[in-house]
Amino acid sequence: MTTTISPATAAAPEPALPEAGTPTPSKRRRFKRPPIGYAFAVVFLVTLTLMAFLADYLPFIPYPDAKILGPDGRPGRYEWGPSWTAWFGTDGVSGDVFSKTIYGARTSLQVGVFATVFGIVVGGALGVIAGYFRGWVDRVVMIITDCLLALPALLLAIILVNRLDDYRNDTEWLGWLSRKWQIVLTLGILATAPLARIVRAQTLSLREREFVLAARSIGAKPGRVMFREILPNLIPVILTVAFTGLSILIAAEGALAFLGLGVEVGTPTWGKLIDENRNKIDEAWWATMFPCLMLFLTVLSFNLIGDRLSRRFDIRQAGV
Amino acid sequence: MRYFLQKLSQFAIVFFIVTFVVMILMRLGLNAPGDPARTLLGGTADQGLIDATTQKYRLDSNYFTQYFFWLKGMVTGDMGFSVPNSLPVSELIRGRVMTTLLLGSYAIVLGLIIAVPFAVRQAYKRDSAFDKVGSGLSFAFVSAPAIVLAPILTLILIKENTITLWWPLNDYQVTIGGWFPRIGEKVYPWQDLGAHFKNFFVPTLVLTLPIAAIFSRLLRGDMVMTLQADFVTLASAKGVSPRRVLWVHALRNSLFSLLTSVGLQIGGIVGGAIVAETFFDLDGMGTMLVTAILSKDLFTVQSAAAILVACVVVVNLTVDLLYAVLDPRIRHIRALA
Repeated sequence: MTTTISPATAAAPEPALPEAGTPTPSKRRRFKRPPIGYAFAVVFLVTLTLMAFLADYLPFIPYPDAKILGPDGRPGRYEWGPSWTAWFGTDGVSGDVFSKTIYGARTSLQVGVFATVFGIVVGGALGVIAGYFRGWVDRVVMIITDCLLALPALLLAIILVNRLDDYRNDTEWLGWLSRKWQIVLTLGILATAPLARIVRAQTLSLREREFVLAARSIGAKPGRVMFREILPNLIPVILTVAFTGLSILIAAEGALAFLGLGVEVGTPTWGKLIDENRNKIDEAWWATMFPCLMLFLTVLSFNLIGDRLSRRFDIRQAGV
Repeated sequence: MRYFLQKLSQFAIVFFIVTFVVMILMRLGLNAPGDPARTLLGGTADQGLIDATTQKYRLDSNYFTQYFFWLKGMVTGDMGFSVPNSLPVSELIRGRVMTTLLLGSYAIVLGLIIAVPFAVRQAYKRDSAFDKVGSGLSFAFVSAPAIVLAPILTLILIKENTITLWWPLNDYQVTIGGWFPRIGEKVYPWQDLGAHFKNFFVPTLVLTLPIAAIFSRLLRGDMVMTLQADFVTLASAKGVSPRRVLWVHALRNSLFSLLTSVGLQIGGIVGGAIVAETFFDLDGMGTMLVTAILSKDLFTVQSAAAILVACVVVVNLTVDLLYAVLDPRIRHIRALA
């Protein structure tokens, strides 16, 4: 099974071979359809990532704390709509919404990716161990995931972020745990449960396969069987769930920021922008709508990629 | 029956662990004796009151004793006192629960009403233009979280937009929007039905559109699979009307993922409600919980979380039982186990 997915091979339309018998019209059409959505998603995400991380060096992106002067030469509230001066208009502190949106993407992408990596490492490990050993290990892991899924995710996230913040202030050795890393940790914990469940389910079926039996019968230890035999076969599943999960986590980060539990003051994020400007939606729709649009397009793109991967690897993820 | 008891015990364990962990989380960093009471009562409370509260709720003892006393209070109906609201927690929750309950049930029911007919028709007319548009729409709404939908719907439905048309209707102006109030007021249906729906419509829409999209995607996928099954062909072949094949034979056998998802969504509805209620200033359980967590209102958080977890547990059990109702095979397997 090939596990490397390069956009080039994935995007290439498969040739419509004349099959034996009569291919149904629907089948033929599906082979021919160019993957517009997928191509859009990849282009959008690559552009956004590049812009977000190179924003300091790109001449057309002002700094997020720069003041954009209004037509009368003074900074003011919501002076510009979308225009050449400020592409997405200016907000209530005469900051550039475009620049804030791009810098906000940096935060969202970082938080989302790190939290997903945390979820994959912890959730994947729990899932493989539970599925491989079964018995009481499995019980314990399932109870942990059940507990994590029993409270609404956003609620648990609010509790964790809020408490971690207080806890850090009282505890010396936790000084490194800034607000951003608290959110990463929280969302990572939340991502653990669904990943562990899906990986466990896959491991349960994989461990009955012949190659696992073969490895065990020549004396491979459980650790080796899990890492060298089972884990490579789990990569497609993990990758697919990771992309879908990434979209959920980025939306969750937005919701947290919207509720006032975002990253440090001064760092723009989409959720914070939406919260700050939503009461001025009558006069200045741009300051709310562009961050909304960016969040939507990012979530959509990750979902599109996840959807394509799940079709490619034929994975059903009803439970997520 | 044995299966049911096994599930029940499993869910009971989950309930106790989650409520206990929430309690510990809320008390993290409040280690000195008297600290929890001081947090609870606010910085200016006098020492006598702090001592009395500490005594009353055993706040100086270990976590297990505290948990036990809190649980004992819960069972007897005493959920503690919420100082920021100067109300007993049970009163506070009673005032808020209806909003979220109404909002949540509207969202789920409306989601099903939208999703089921769409999904069935999409599966029946697979790969038609209707199916493609429907799939695209549902994909878009799955990717639209509440914080995105709420401002967009505000812009379209709540704000009054005057649009100047261009050729061929030169400078003809139309006003759309302005149909719903900006800030949702808590009007209950038994007070004024019209005003109630006006206030609740947009928040409900914010919650229901993503849910409907998830439901219809799941159901469409399952229906497509079911419609290819042999028993559907057989039913058509023996002369069952297409409508009956579709809505009875095929739909019933495609409901499993949908049912699981309905259960998950009911459990998670408060998460979405937090954002919707905050955005439209509806005071329900969601806003109450956020304020309580931020102001360290220990008993409110603990009790509300316990109620939510209990709801999730009950929903999960119901879904499990419904599986058996839908599919006799599952009933059979469980009877053997």
